[in-house]
Amino acid sequence: MHEHPLDLIAALADGSLSDEAEARALIETCQECRDEHRAQTEVIGWLAAAPAAEMTDLEKASLHRDLWTELRNEPTRSPATPWWQRLSYVAAGLLVMVGLVGVLNNGMLGGGAESRATTTAAAQAFDEAPTEEVPFVAQGNDDLEAAPEMTTETTAAAEGAGEESLPVPFEELADEARANQADRVATQGTDGDTEECLARVGLDEHLVVDEVELDRTYLLVMPVDSEAEPIVTFVVMPECEIVYVG
Amino acid sequence: MTVPGNEAELLTRVVSGDREAFDAVMRVHQDRVFSVCLRILGDRERALDATQDTFLTVFRKAGQFQGRSAVGTWIYRIAVNTCYDQLRRAQRRPSESLPDHVDLSDPSAEEAIESAAVRPEIELALAQLPPDFRNAVILSDLEGLPLPEIAEIIGVPIGTIKSRVFRGRRLLAKHLGNQNDQ
Repeated sequence: MHEHPLDLIAALADGSLSDEAEARALIETCQECRDEHRAQTEVIGWLAAAPAAEMTDLEKASLHRDLWTELRNEPTRSPATPWWQRLSYVAAGLLVMVGLVGVLNNGMLGGGAESRATTTAAAQAFDEAPTEEVPFVAQGNDDLEAAPEMTTETTAAAEGAGEESLPVPFEELADEARANQADRVATQGTDGDTEECLARVGLDEHLVVDEVELDRTYLLVMPVDSEAEPIVTFVVMPECEIVYVG
Repeated sequence: MTVPGNEAELLTRVVSGDREAFDAVMRVHQDRVFSVCLRILGDRERALDATQDTFLTVFRKAGQFQGRSAVGTWIYRIAVNTCYDQLRRAQRRPSESLPDHVDLSDPSAEEAIESAAVRPEIELALAQLPPDFRNAVILSDLEGLPLPEIAEIIGVPIGTIKSRVFRGRRLLAKHLGNQNDQ
């Protein structure tokens, strides 16, 4: 059978023809076309009668849980710097340039106190411009989706930023853990629950290097290869939530 | 299943990490994505994995949706590609066990097959079709998607899809006829 009649007959079978006259004339005059029409109609009927494939409620719940666990554990892009913050960088830059021009003028032409004041103001403005990268401090599992990629660069850039506002001296503890990791990794074991918790928050290739009791219980966790990646993650227990990465 | 008019807007909110928006998109499409994956892969566990992978991709690539097709079409295209990837991976691991619906020696599987009426023989016949034909027939006659949408999902001209659907049905009729004769 040629392609065109098959097209027509199959379209007649699935009801997608706007004008059925030509197709109907074909099946009246041609045995092969009649067989084809019957075969196509039968298959459409069999398939239409097939029961719907659906997920059970349990499968749907598991799908959602597993999906969000996966998404929480992956690094996401840092949010874009807001326009007003970008503007403050530009303003600070301009002030520095004006200040430099002032200093040069002062040096060459013997300028006075006015230009020095401009330079000081410029330097101050630049100092006050917000630092773009800060260490990630989660306020619960929902915040984890906004966690920036855990890199040593992020940590280094964050030194000294916002530490006063943290309820726990995370950075000090992280430094201490890094300094003592060789001894602690060897002695600190992980029980089944802890192991399960670490796997849940995406830290399955990590070891608990310390446990501290402050306002809550914190596990200090480092990668198995902590020499290559000296990042300390704080997991609050028993909630099993990442609260700080430094 | 109706696709809300503001679905593209929901996807925009997904880009900024809006969990509720993503859940809303999932609620609309998860059943059909699962159904398509189950028909293509023929195995429930694999279909569930593929459904999860599909929505992970949807979340990660929401920013790449350009609104040239319906959100559903875009998502089903991701689902079909995810299933193709799974099939390719499975082909590289020939020792992997066969889908459960052909294991007739398993009493619980047999029971599940009996309760699903004509489904086993249709699935068996579908499994014998060349993949391109099978997927076109699944999307058209099992999932009831219109041919232009299937063409977009699979990424081939509509004439090709028509031909695959019609020829797929013809082969299916032949396979099902042979099975009935036995």
